[in-house]
Amino acid sequence: MGNDSMVKVDGVSMRFNLGIEKNYSLKQAMIEAFSAKKRAEKKANKAKNQFWALTDVSFDVKPGEVMGFVGTNGAGKSTLLKIVAGVMKPTKGVVEVRGNVCPMIELGAGFDSDLTARENIYLNGSVMGYNKHFLDSKFDEIVEFSELQDFMEVPVKNFSSGMIARLAFSIATIVDPEILIVDEILSVGDAAFQKKSEAKMRSLIGGGTTVLYVSHSAKSIKSLCDRVVWLDHGKVMMIGEAETVCNEYLRSLNLLEEE
Amino acid sequence: MFKRIWINFKKYSFLLKQLVSRDFKVKYKRSVLGMLWSLLYPVLMMIVMSLVFKNVFKFETVGRSYLVYLLSGLIMWNYFSEASNLSMSSVVGNFSLINKVYMPKYIFPLSKCLVVGINFLLTLIPLYAVIIIEGFKFESLRINIYHLALPYAYLCLFIFTLGIGLILATVSVFLRDMFYIYGIVTMIWMYLTPIMYDINIIENKVLLFLMKLNPLYLYINFARKIILGDEYSNFVPYLPSLKYFAACGGSAVIVLLIGIAVFKWKQDRFIYYV
Repeated sequence: MGNDSMVKVDGVSMRFNLGIEKNYSLKQAMIEAFSAKKRAEKKANKAKNQFWALTDVSFDVKPGEVMGFVGTNGAGKSTLLKIVAGVMKPTKGVVEVRGNVCPMIELGAGFDSDLTARENIYLNGSVMGYNKHFLDSKFDEIVEFSELQDFMEVPVKNFSSGMIARLAFSIATIVDPEILIVDEILSVGDAAFQKKSEAKMRSLIGGGTTVLYVSHSAKSIKSLCDRVVWLDHGKVMMIGEAETVCNEYLRSLNLLEEE
Repeated sequence: MFKRIWINFKKYSFLLKQLVSRDFKVKYKRSVLGMLWSLLYPVLMMIVMSLVFKNVFKFETVGRSYLVYLLSGLIMWNYFSEASNLSMSSVVGNFSLINKVYMPKYIFPLSKCLVVGINFLLTLIPLYAVIIIEGFKFESLRINIYHLALPYAYLCLFIFTLGIGLILATVSVFLRDMFYIYGIVTMIWMYLTPIMYDINIIENKVLLFLMKLNPLYLYINFARKIILGDEYSNFVPYLPSLKYFAACGGSAVIVLLIGIAVFKWKQDRFIYYV
């Protein structure tokens, strides 16, 4: 692979329209169709309501590198990861991804509460893009890790939230992806399971895969990541070595002393 | 490009299978009769409708079995109505997935059309049962070699429904009113499709012409020619002409292509609206 990057984000900008989801109905469409004034008003509103979640973000991630992302809430971290995962298309710019991506952005996406745990393992696994063969071979591993052996034939709606989280985490982490996207999901379940899941995450991240990692914990970022991107209001403030960028970031928040 | 789409489709074919089997499992969970409902429902509907139309409206289909006439159209209409309705809400309903994980979005309307399709295949059992029973009364009503062409009509129905489903799924993302509008549209559409009555009772020439443009009428009529025959054949089953084959296939494929184009055009914007 040499110098080729696994993920290349080039000049990516993302625009959201804040106003669109409010009350868009047939009535409004009719009014707009027949009234030029309303149309002009809407156009003006549209410009006003534009919100750039990301502006001109560029970076690349080398094979095997663990790239951390820091920034305050709403800085655009999750949007960026969703773009890399292919969930959204950027307004401007290009994203190149080589290899299969495993987005661990949300646990348990696609669980159906009426189905049993066994059925949900297959459903959720297929949502994440795995095939039957792979899931068959990993099934026991998933069950064992989740420690839910006795509940495999129980509909998920009868599970406690902790049990659902365990199951979801176990499915999400069985992969051996080329690119792993992790959006702070380490703390699920009870204390014992939290410890176990953290160890699992570390082994996944340390296993040589390329990782994009978002966390609010500067400590875990520093210990896991090679390089860090600091985002603020959709702009890249700094890219560089984990220690340096994290310290800069914390300094900007006046939080460095606490570390 | 086609190769890329195919590879992607293959990768997600397991997901498609899972979505279909989920819908199927969930549908009859906790109901005592379970899958039997798929068989019973159209039969019960047929009985009610035939009682109403025969006794209240004094409706007759001379020379052929009204029950078979009714049921052969009804199951096709039910397929269309249910599958298009479910497809319409499939993208909006699966927003929690679309927002989190990448997957080809057409998979949702497609899975709905397939689930209802399995259901449709089950409703063929009561249809054939009624054909056999009514066969004792009507001499020409026999299962014949032309029945091998029936899957063609059902395939056209599937393709057409998928096309409409894709369009509806797209529109409903941007315009939630569509759910209510389409309810009314399906009602009008149902009465304009000759399911319970014969199209020849329509006297208005313009209306008749317009009704014959309805693709659903084409598919239903195609099936009825094979099962029952029509007045041209003296109610002896026959194979529809090549022209009829082409009209069915052509209309279905055109609608599907429009559906694909509309869906593809707008699918990247779904995420901002749902």
